[in-house]
Amino acid sequence: MVQSKKQKYLFLAFCLIPTFIMFSIFTLYPLFSGLYYSFFEWSGSSESKEFIGISNYIQLFNDEIIPMTIIHDYFLVATKVLGIMVLALFFAVALTQLKIKEAPFYRIVFFFPNIMSVVVIGILWTFIYNPSLGLVNSGLQFMGLEDWARPWLGSEDWALPSLVLPSIWAGIGLFMLMLMGGIANVSKSYYEAAEIDGANEWQQFWKVTLPLVWPQIKISILYIVITTLNGSFIIVQIMTGGGPNNSTHVMGSYLYEQAFVQYNFGYGATIGVMILIFSLVTVLILQFIMRRERVEY
Amino acid sequence: MLILVVGCSSDEEASSDGDNSEIANDGKVNGELEIQYFVGGYGDSWWKEVIADFKEEYPDVTITEHAGPNINEEMRSRWVSGDPPDVVYIDGAGSSETQMVEDGQLMNLTEWVKDVEVDGTPITESFIVDPAKYDGEIYSLPLVFDTWGTWYDEAWFEAEGYEVPTDFESFMSTMGDIQEGEDIAPFVTTGQHPYYFLRGMLYPAFGAAGGDQLLEDVITGKEGAWTSEPVLEVMKKVEKMQKEGYIDEGFGALNHTQSQMNFLLHKNAFIPVGFWLPNEMEKDKPEDFTYGFIPSPMQDAGEPFAVVPDLRPLAIAEEADNPEAAKAFVDFVFTKEYATLFSEHTGAIMNINGVDLSQNENVSDYLIEANAMINDPEQVKIYQKPHPMSAELETPISNALVSLMLGNITAEEFTQQAEEAAAEYRNSK
Repeated sequence: MVQSKKQKYLFLAFCLIPTFIMFSIFTLYPLFSGLYYSFFEWSGSSESKEFIGISNYIQLFNDEIIPMTIIHDYFLVATKVLGIMVLALFFAVALTQLKIKEAPFYRIVFFFPNIMSVVVIGILWTFIYNPSLGLVNSGLQFMGLEDWARPWLGSEDWALPSLVLPSIWAGIGLFMLMLMGGIANVSKSYYEAAEIDGANEWQQFWKVTLPLVWPQIKISILYIVITTLNGSFIIVQIMTGGGPNNSTHVMGSYLYEQAFVQYNFGYGATIGVMILIFSLVTVLILQFIMRRERVEY
Repeated sequence: MLILVVGCSSDEEASSDGDNSEIANDGKVNGELEIQYFVGGYGDSWWKEVIADFKEEYPDVTITEHAGPNINEEMRSRWVSGDPPDVVYIDGAGSSETQMVEDGQLMNLTEWVKDVEVDGTPITESFIVDPAKYDGEIYSLPLVFDTWGTWYDEAWFEAEGYEVPTDFESFMSTMGDIQEGEDIAPFVTTGQHPYYFLRGMLYPAFGAAGGDQLLEDVITGKEGAWTSEPVLEVMKKVEKMQKEGYIDEGFGALNHTQSQMNFLLHKNAFIPVGFWLPNEMEKDKPEDFTYGFIPSPMQDAGEPFAVVPDLRPLAIAEEADNPEAAKAFVDFVFTKEYATLFSEHTGAIMNINGVDLSQNENVSDYLIEANAMINDPEQVKIYQKPHPMSAELETPISNALVSLMLGNITAEEFTQQAEEAAAEYRNSK
């Protein structure tokens, strides 16, 4: 018995130690290095750096661009969560519960953007939004709505909202599949029982489907929030570079600009710490808000 | 994840323990020589030819090339860890001569350069524009003489009868004609990289309005420079262009290649870019398009065009493993022969005077014309900036500039914002 327990621990160690080593090298070390560099004034392009204590953090609190980037990030989070979840849920229900013959085809169509690189998506939508050559303005003109045509990505007012559409377009497929998996696992007997009780399709959706796929919805929302806070800078970088006049800068793109364009690497690291804190706090708050007993019928 | 990006750099001690230093210190040119060069609009064919010739001249030197459009980012960790390449051509995104000098990464060439000659003439007397000086010291030699100017389609202008502008008034007048005739906004630039407008239009305008001193003051962020009368007058001109609807209202979203494509497709008629434009857009140029180049016409009537050279330097790393070979390479490059070749390969000019391109069939017409114009003091006056503007100052000024060009702020508000950015920059130093 003792022998077998020892073997069990050895096996566990054999499995965990390489993982922990990799995790330490690729996650913990850069994480603590970033924290370390946030206390230095450093250009990021030479060996010389100067310890400046919490000066970068003081600068962070006084930086007028930072509140703007936080607002932009949470604007993207809110619109993406809303847009993606509503549409993904709609398509998931439509493709599983309605007897659509072409469902497999639509599944591929909706999932297609997920196999494309974010860079490609960004470039593609930059062309679509091009004020003189792009599809959006041409389409509006074709429909007689030329007054609605505008320099989408070139306007300080419209650039940020314009980034939402490609992000939603690129995100629907994955979450639609996740929700379809959840819906497929809901026993048909619940719907049959609801139907006998006189529930219409709309009531079945609210009372049966939605509560039973809640775990998938919760995970999807958390995933969208985390990936938006940490990854939206790619689409921003490709499509607007944070402009015009900082109107689309998110925390990540501002970090990039500070660290790699303005050579304030130490300050960039400080912004990185801020992003980490914001991501953690947001996820914890969301976990708290979305806590709910698992529904079982 | 982003904190990981920042944290992934190493601050290990320099690993410059290669055996080259020992070999090179005996004064002979041998061992390994590492060269870093950015490949952008000028391409890399000139570099390949020069390096091949250098290898022939110095067979004991083994050259390692680090080149490409992203080479500045790719080599960053080498510079950070104190193991840089020996020779660096400073150009392209992610590079900053000013920052490299401030970080002590470049070798002080002040003494050495006194002994370097170009075809028998001291190199200090052979430059079109002198090297940048930092507190009187030279850390790089200006290799490429580029200049920003305003481009147009010569064939199209001739066919449609549009006047080529000679000053700001005629510039506005021609843009009005084009707007009316073609129903387009005549002027485009890239809003994603607002320094194209800053360097391509404003620097010459500042040069014309206040000479080298004003240029130096705005670039170094001297107190009161950005709110001064000549700067405000220049910014009023920009405001006027915007108010007349001459600046493409979509420019804010365009990157440099998109704005250049718009220009080639006659969606716009004028664009401020450097000499690399034709080379960079060679594959996209419509057949009937003929490049026309004028220095940006921002000066008042009766004054010569203003040109502010944009120099791309060659430097040696302070911690070069093989400084002897590095110096030999730099010495080797600066000749009239390679200057001629440079124009043939890249469509731009090397910073060496006395190179006759007028009869050279391998050089584009626009370059011959531009070269002749730049060398005619009655047509063009050359103004010189002390060194490139620091990114720390250039970024906030560029952002305010976009707002002005979008019509969201006035010229007065712009100068105020720029002055605040300059004050912040001065305080950070």
